[in-house]
Amino acid sequence: MNNKEQHFSDEFLNAFVDDQLATEEKGRVYLEIGRDETLNRQVCELRRLHDLVQLAYREPPAPPARATSGLTSRHARLRFGVAASVLLTFGIVLGSQIRMPAPAPAPSLTAVPASATQKVANTAPPAKSAAKVEIANPVVARNEIPDNTTSKVLIHLARDDADQLSQALDDIESLLEHYRETRQSARVEVVVNGKGLELVRTDTSAFAGRIQRLLRNYGNLTFAACQNTIDRLAREQGVSVRLLPGVITIDSGMAEITRRQNQGWTYLQV
Amino acid sequence: MLDFFLRTREAQRALVEARARLYRVAYAWCRSPALADDLVQETLTKALKNSAQLRDPKARDAWLFTILANCYRDYFRRLRDMDDIDDVEISHESTPESESSSAQIVVLVRATVARLSVGQRQVVTLVDLEGFSYGEVAKILDVPIGTVMSRLCRARNAMKALLLPEFQKNPAMVRDIRRIK
Repeated sequence: MNNKEQHFSDEFLNAFVDDQLATEEKGRVYLEIGRDETLNRQVCELRRLHDLVQLAYREPPAPPARATSGLTSRHARLRFGVAASVLLTFGIVLGSQIRMPAPAPAPSLTAVPASATQKVANTAPPAKSAAKVEIANPVVARNEIPDNTTSKVLIHLARDDADQLSQALDDIESLLEHYRETRQSARVEVVVNGKGLELVRTDTSAFAGRIQRLLRNYGNLTFAACQNTIDRLAREQGVSVRLLPGVITIDSGMAEITRRQNQGWTYLQV
Repeated sequence: MLDFFLRTREAQRALVEARARLYRVAYAWCRSPALADDLVQETLTKALKNSAQLRDPKARDAWLFTILANCYRDYFRRLRDMDDIDDVEISHESTPESESSSAQIVVLVRATVARLSVGQRQVVTLVDLEGFSYGEVAKILDVPIGTVMSRLCRARNAMKALLLPEFQKNPAMVRDIRRIK
């Protein structure tokens, strides 16, 4: 807060981290974060606190065994009733040979439109020849209930192949456009590390204008650069990285990916 | 008829999910598994009894947590009538000592949350664990939205002040956090 450029109150920054700001206000903070290292660190600290609280209560101790009370016996009766109902339904369905429609998949797993070039993959490594987007297993923490109202997609870029990056930006734009057209609430975060960092560096990015346009057009899009990669470039190659305006930094790209997967985000690797 | 069966199954699934979430927040508030379980039990009993009050199913979560907050408030009101409030801590089962085998970070963060005032603890857990908006938290706790924001801000500043020195004392813990995340 002692930085001269700092003009956001603590309450405002908390609201930013908790996604309580309007798109325009959020955009203002993102722009400032790209310029102000102190502010960036403050936001990182707040995010870390948020994550720590989630981590601390992910698995609370089990409650002590309870003698059957009125509620539990009612609960048991309800369970019995539901089981009986299911059996009865099953019998009716079998008897009449009517096919029941399959239950709809969980909304958080349908975040990506079917038209995008994707395949469910947790086995094969990403193909080098094409900029295919692959879905690794989205992990939902045991005690975390997915937010049914918001689709959350994390896209991981770790390569600097211009064709692939161009294709990936096309995919990201069509994904965001799809959410906008279908009026779905969504958040898309692009995490860049390794060679992918070149996409968001002012001196190397071949798509600076396009990224700026995307960030301007879509308030729900974030580009996040890995601080570990930035530090490594400075240490090993003496490169002082300057990021495009609006690109935020995160402590570690890999940590961010794991963190987001634990929060129920869909992970796409380019 | 099928619709009725599916609705019943859906209602039960929602109840089971809600129970785990209510318990997690209740435990964060009172730090006692037994007390948290009692509070959740009381909350669900009241919710079932008053289920007709819930007009909008989308508001179910906020409604359930409002009942939990009321149960928690009533519990302390009753407690004040009978016991000295200082005795409450003694009944808490989850202390750093009893959890020495648990991950250090989890113990440290829980202990830090426990040191916050009740109001701050409630706001932090409703926002961070349940992802409620500030407006929803204000309704659940029946306080103005400005109070929610200032409590959250004070809580996080206090947590930063309490946790960061611990991490500086033990840099290995920071590495562990990164690994866990």
